[in-house]
Amino acid sequence: MRIAIDTGGTFTDCVYVRDGRLEILKILSTPRNPAEAILDALGRIAPGPKMEIRHGTTVGTNTLLERSGARVALVTTSGFEDVLAIGRQARARLYDWLAEGEPPLVPAERRFGAEERTLWNGEILQRLDEAGLDELVRRVRGARPDAIAISLLFSFANPENERKVERALGELGVPISASHVILPEFREYERTSTVVANAYLAPRMGHYLGSLREQVERGYHGSRLHVMQSSGGIVSAELAAREPVRTILSGPAGGVVGAHRVAKLAGFERIISFDMGGTSTDVALVDSANGQGIETTNESLVAGHPIGVPMLNIHTVGSGGGSLAWFNEGNALRVGPQSAGSDPGPICYGRGERPTVTDADLALGRLLPEFFLGGAMQLEEERTLEFLERTKGPMESVTAFAAGITRVAETVMEKAIRVISIERGHDPRDFTLVSFGGAGPLHACALARALKIPRVMVPRFPGALSALGILLSDVASDSSHTVMAAPNDSKLETAFREVEKRLGKQMRAEGWRAHGLRSADMRYVGQGYELNLPWGPKLVERFHEAHAKRYGYADEKRPVEVVNVRVRLVVPTGGVPLTRSPLGGKDASKAVVRKRAAWFDGKLRSVPVYNRDLLRPGNRFAGPALVVEYSATTVVLPGSRATVDGWGNLIVEVS
Amino acid sequence: MRTRTMAARRADPVELSVFQNLFHSIAEEMGAALRRSAFSPNIKERRDYSCAVFDGAGNVIAMGDHMPVHLGSMPMSVRAAVDSLALGPGDVALLNDPFAGGTHLPDVTMVEGVFRGRERRPMFYVATRAHHADIGGTFPGSMGLCREIYQEGLRIPPVKLARGGKVDADLLRMALANVRTPVEREGDLTAQLGACRIGSRRLLELVEKYGAARVERNMRDLLDYSEQFLRAELAKLPSGTFSAEDFLDDDGVSDGPIRIAVTLRLDAKRRRAEVDFTGTDPEAKGSVNAVYAITYSAVFYAFRCLLADDAPATAGLLRPIKLIAPERTVVNAGPPAAVAGGNVETSQRIVDVLLRALAQAAPNRVPAASSGTMNNLSVGGVDPRSGQPFAYYETIAGGMGARPTGDGLSGVHTHMTNSLNTPIEALEYAYPFRVRAYGYRAGSGGKGKFRGGDGLVREIELLTESQVTLLADRRRRGPYGLAGGEPGAAGKGLLIEASGRMETLPGKCTFRVAPGDAVRIETPGGGGWGAAEAE
Repeated sequence: MRIAIDTGGTFTDCVYVRDGRLEILKILSTPRNPAEAILDALGRIAPGPKMEIRHGTTVGTNTLLERSGARVALVTTSGFEDVLAIGRQARARLYDWLAEGEPPLVPAERRFGAEERTLWNGEILQRLDEAGLDELVRRVRGARPDAIAISLLFSFANPENERKVERALGELGVPISASHVILPEFREYERTSTVVANAYLAPRMGHYLGSLREQVERGYHGSRLHVMQSSGGIVSAELAAREPVRTILSGPAGGVVGAHRVAKLAGFERIISFDMGGTSTDVALVDSANGQGIETTNESLVAGHPIGVPMLNIHTVGSGGGSLAWFNEGNALRVGPQSAGSDPGPICYGRGERPTVTDADLALGRLLPEFFLGGAMQLEEERTLEFLERTKGPMESVTAFAAGITRVAETVMEKAIRVISIERGHDPRDFTLVSFGGAGPLHACALARALKIPRVMVPRFPGALSALGILLSDVASDSSHTVMAAPNDSKLETAFREVEKRLGKQMRAEGWRAHGLRSADMRYVGQGYELNLPWGPKLVERFHEAHAKRYGYADEKRPVEVVNVRVRLVVPTGGVPLTRSPLGGKDASKAVVRKRAAWFDGKLRSVPVYNRDLLRPGNRFAGPALVVEYSATTVVLPGSRATVDGWGNLIVEVS
Repeated sequence: MRTRTMAARRADPVELSVFQNLFHSIAEEMGAALRRSAFSPNIKERRDYSCAVFDGAGNVIAMGDHMPVHLGSMPMSVRAAVDSLALGPGDVALLNDPFAGGTHLPDVTMVEGVFRGRERRPMFYVATRAHHADIGGTFPGSMGLCREIYQEGLRIPPVKLARGGKVDADLLRMALANVRTPVEREGDLTAQLGACRIGSRRLLELVEKYGAARVERNMRDLLDYSEQFLRAELAKLPSGTFSAEDFLDDDGVSDGPIRIAVTLRLDAKRRRAEVDFTGTDPEAKGSVNAVYAITYSAVFYAFRCLLADDAPATAGLLRPIKLIAPERTVVNAGPPAAVAGGNVETSQRIVDVLLRALAQAAPNRVPAASSGTMNNLSVGGVDPRSGQPFAYYETIAGGMGARPTGDGLSGVHTHMTNSLNTPIEALEYAYPFRVRAYGYRAGSGGKGKFRGGDGLVREIELLTESQVTLLADRRRRGPYGLAGGEPGAAGKGLLIEASGRMETLPGKCTFRVAPGDAVRIETPGGGGWGAAEAE
């Protein structure tokens, strides 16, 4: 039996298949020790032995955000100990004299230089001698680290010196993260930052995953624990513990995979996933119509630290249902990035006094007090209107204020979607907006309308889509190597084979038989950024095309080079446990549970409220309408038409 | 004035946020396209460029978070292009003439009109400016010690690089024949053209979506809104006259400090201000002369920083400010003065002087002096690995001045620049160099209740015979402290010959080196803030 468990801030979501049916369990998270909720959930599901448990974790993200990770010692090439702190010599904010920078994860007193030097072409200028190594070990030991990061200059061109340092420091008995293993690519700051983040997470993730694994294996004989990576692939808990930097966006990656899979089944290959929660919104674009799977990036910035390992290209903005609305000094309305969180929470939860997006939604009649979380929580409508009146500033009415709040919040999200779509040369009109997370379906139609996205899809279980994505993800492992060679250089084949050998060995040790996907990072000779293209025929031709699309020009006279070769080893996850039902009648009126007065386009209208659980495949209805279910409310705008497809998805055609 | 303010009050706050974001994201996208498709490390790694969007009258509506020194000077490029050329659809103006819309010769600007349908007047302009690592002239890197502009490189008045979407190949050939690294230049210029194309494409999409009238209205409202923003701020500052001065070490070809003086007249009641540079020294013989556009940018920057982080930096911002920069001084030079350093060194000193005056009006908001120099290092020669010429240009960060709220940051670029460093692994791959050290210059920040940030040390060995040019300042006196804080340490330069012989370098110098020689630059620390407590 395979069970996917996604730990979120509020809920721990489990999705699994029993007797051929997909089942869902949501229980409250236990933030201090996430394993408690997981073991509790397993107990409730009461599975047997030989389970495959797949986990989406927030331990890595939270450790970075809270800066509560390991005491790391960093070894660099002597003379370059400060590279991690200097970064790219840029200040945090351009026009703010008082802005503070994000201090590095390793302070000066724990950064050590090794007397060595490797050159750009891999030639070793200075080798480490025994005396120097002994001295280095002595100094590092004196810093009492609980993890070590090593990042020497040009380690990707020749790892010999770095391996020597790694071997020598092995005697300290703490986890070591070496740059030629974690990220063998050029740009020393970004590489060092990634390696340091890995070391910073290693002890805690090692302990957390180790003990969870042990309890799972002890409690459920023959069971195994796997972990979702930020790149959208599953790896063993052992590997995740060694390279935790690959799991920073574990949960959100599950959401993107989930959105991609359910949309593909429903017939939509080009999607924008829109996951709006309480404090943040994650958006991603997946265009599988042109053969590209889910896009990954190697230029993420997490809590101010560059992370260079591949992550799904997920763009996060600090705007969610709990984001606070305020007026700036020029009296312009702003929303976020501060959030009301769960304490005090929005005004409508009963304790908060500052307006949030959720309060605006309630004031506009788009949330139903008695249906929130299946009625487990009663929203306070009168209190909300009272406080909105007090805080509406220059706005003429509470309704105008509320409509303004939702519109500004939607603008922030519109911008986020622009970043991943329009700015990358995609036209939103070609996409379907797949909306999930607690607040996503409330705003999806308005966003779609603003961006001219023709269609919104709300999957059957919008509150557990990330866990479903994890359940459906392939087992995958990525690695890369910097080569700097012409596209027809025989060196490339050698490099590919080496990477495949290294990855393959690792996968076989875990009992997986994988097949490899090769790709190449390419650019015109002399450029500084690359475009990633699947390895294969007409490589150079395809590069010119991609370049023209992205940057407005191509130059076929210019020589092209391959900077990195990339390999992804994949074990596909078979058997999608989603079922399709035949379409029934169009009449949706049986699902209407009440009417509700709600504001649309400045007018108060009486709109029908549909209960999602009562809607049947084939049902159709027109907006304006509200659809309520346990973990979300969908707003169907006037002029839009909704249908329920055979998979139980709500499909809204936006006018 | 009154009607304008009223209009701004009536403007829909939601609509303003929407359009501010939309215009800004277009400028940002132009920058991203330029960076990702450019060739020289100075553009692709260091991001020494700016992209901006203008209305049909040439008022700046949005600028990406790029280089502050271009804030006020980009609009002057648009103005110069529009005044001297009739830009039709698909025409792109090219220029770098500091006396006709430029700043210094390496900064090459392109301006394109954006036309709606078959209209003959552009609805917008887009512009990209990038610092090219060489634009010809006496010294590789085009940042040398010259006495007149003719020595500094190729001077391009506004000309049409493209007509109706077609690049003028003859003009391009002419330009490329006058620079040291033509292949790289051609690539970077093509990338700039691509960025303009992307900007105009996006603006037209905006019009298609929202309609021309609505877009026009929002551009106007944004200009008014910026003005209103600054006026609200000026109302909060105390009225009065505040004067300050500071000095550049020298101009590189003659001795003696160069004075920059400012008098700031703040009028809270009428919500306006006057910035008067009368008393500043006349044009210098060397290349530290700033053209008016740079002084305008420095003033724009200083006032922009008084506003909240999310204030739109449109042309409306400076409406309440009157700028007086006497002609033929180092803050308003004319032809044929040499100007390479005006953009990078004098611009920083102008900000130092402005902040020193502002600190008297708002002592709890203004930091002590930051490093006050960009430590411009240029190197040229022939790369023995390829046999091809190379031209390298880089600026090195220093310490930030201490703030009334805490220590200054160490090793960051401040004020008028925002360029990144070149990664060592990119540098050694691209040039015949070996970096020996890159780290903080410990103890260089000025002491005080809050310490100035430390400067940096960068030591580079040249692996082949090369011409090295250093253009730096704050070598004689360190950045000033405020409120009793001590000044930061002055900068230092050293030539370390292969034989081990060492020689201290003046702030501004040019010399030839042999393989194995190294240059070591130690940048200034920031000034301290507040008197240090006795230990």
